[in-house]
Amino acid sequence: MSAMIELNHVTKMYGNVVGVNDLVIELPEGAYGLIGPNGAGKTTLINLLIGHLRPTIGNVRILGSTPSSDRRILRQIGLCPATDVLYPNVSALEWVQYQVRLHGIARHECQRLAEQALETVGMSATMHRPMGTYSLGMRQRTKIAQAIAHEPQLLILDEPYNGLDPVGRSDMTRMLKNWTAAGRGLLFASHVLQEIESITSSFLLIFGGRLLASGTAKEIESMLAKTPQEIRIVGRDAARLIHRFADVDWVDSLQLTENRKELRVSLRDPTMLSTQIAHWIASDSLSIERVSAADGNLAAIFESLLRHHRGES
Amino acid sequence: MIDWLTMPFDVMRFELRRSLTPARIAMWLILVAFPVALIARLHALMPESGMPPEMQIMPLGATLYLLVPEVTCLLGLLLWATPAISTEIEGQTWVYLALRQSGRRVVLLGKYLTAVVWTLSAAWVAIALSLLIIGVEWRMWWVMGALAMLSCVAHGALYVLIGVIFFRRTMATAVLYTLTVEYGVSFVPALINKFTINYRLRGLLAQWMNWEEMRSSAENVFGTEPAGTHLLALAAITITMLGISLYRVNRAEYPTQQEG
Repeated sequence: MSAMIELNHVTKMYGNVVGVNDLVIELPEGAYGLIGPNGAGKTTLINLLIGHLRPTIGNVRILGSTPSSDRRILRQIGLCPATDVLYPNVSALEWVQYQVRLHGIARHECQRLAEQALETVGMSATMHRPMGTYSLGMRQRTKIAQAIAHEPQLLILDEPYNGLDPVGRSDMTRMLKNWTAAGRGLLFASHVLQEIESITSSFLLIFGGRLLASGTAKEIESMLAKTPQEIRIVGRDAARLIHRFADVDWVDSLQLTENRKELRVSLRDPTMLSTQIAHWIASDSLSIERVSAADGNLAAIFESLLRHHRGES
Repeated sequence: MIDWLTMPFDVMRFELRRSLTPARIAMWLILVAFPVALIARLHALMPESGMPPEMQIMPLGATLYLLVPEVTCLLGLLLWATPAISTEIEGQTWVYLALRQSGRRVVLLGKYLTAVVWTLSAAWVAIALSLLIIGVEWRMWWVMGALAMLSCVAHGALYVLIGVIFFRRTMATAVLYTLTVEYGVSFVPALINKFTINYRLRGLLAQWMNWEEMRSSAENVFGTEPAGTHLLALAAITITMLGISLYRVNRAEYPTQQEG
């Protein structure tokens, strides 16, 4: 069975500027987060996946087909781009119907599929209103509807939470969980890590056009075991740990905040911390409220990977 | 297959639906009103020239041709056909169309049809009102109507091609091309003017209206070829330009959005 997404040494150049650089990815069907700061190459990668861009070097295959040459595969892909859409005097129903029709789906089917998708995103009550009267959140829901209306096998979302209020975010998370639970593919691009963590634990980390890491948070964590990571120790006695860290050779630097209740420690070997910290706290009878480490926290992993990428490890 | 053939018409229906804005309707009315107003004024001034009524037909008809198939049609198409792609790129909506299985070509064809239908409707109304004022026989009705249609079809294809290739500064490029080639080169008494659309339209005007005197006095402007040659040339220009546009749009990597 062919992979859902397959990139074989893909490089995309815009003149002399590198969009993405030598990407090698093979993802079986599932849900994946695509994480990277603005300008990392996420949108270039997405445009390669939908065949809008052709790679300068290498090849891209989606569900076994090359999207830039075999446009039939686009019927199996739904994309919700990050950019806003506004046709002021057209209703959501008309627009989604139009988008479905452009896949070559029969006219009579288009209305049913559009209504169904708009109902899924909670736009049934307002789908006949002109889009010019919509809030940003309503337009975002409409964009999701056009991405899922033709019932694709792979859904690609670029910053889908933009403009959504907390209720909208919760609804969106529920919808995406249902989507992945139904066994369909999902690629979810964001620079807000918590958004991705709520949907999937598998992710790709992209920065400067390069794939820095891929896998689950745990896999990345083990990969980073020897990479300096920063941890935060919060509590009334945080300052009393300074002499303990000063005596070991696996610490790079220490920083105590002004109120002396938070200690930031840069670790050369994070694995050593887990074996020592509990012992120190117990033997010195310290009051420590929280230790924030890289495990389970994508933000910390992301920071560490960036340092690793920059050669700071 | 039938579904694919009807898709450009669905695009046209969507485009016409979204274009029902006060600004677009006002533009349509202006395109209708300005040739009618000029023809009405010219017609009112004719008795002062001392020309007998049967002699007034040719100058009035030539003016109407200039105003509608050569000006109204080009203005309408400049507004509709030229920005077919650039408005989607600027509005950041191109990516929604490009990722559709049949999106690129069908959308371009649909937008081309929209431009032709929208402009042709204004042109035909302007011609009808003008001819009602002039009060001429039926021949000029169908000649002007046919020339307006041919102008829309051929110039529409030309502007769509310009829009597809020059998606930045589209309007400026199209205006420059029109002034240089269609209004400049088409009057140059050399082989090169035979490659312009307006030369072919003027040739058909002289042929179909039997204005031999006008043609013989300016053969390089009105041509000597039979009507069939002009029609073939217009068909070849239209098909070639649409074909290149469809090929180009299917392969183009237009910008979708800025990262960061």
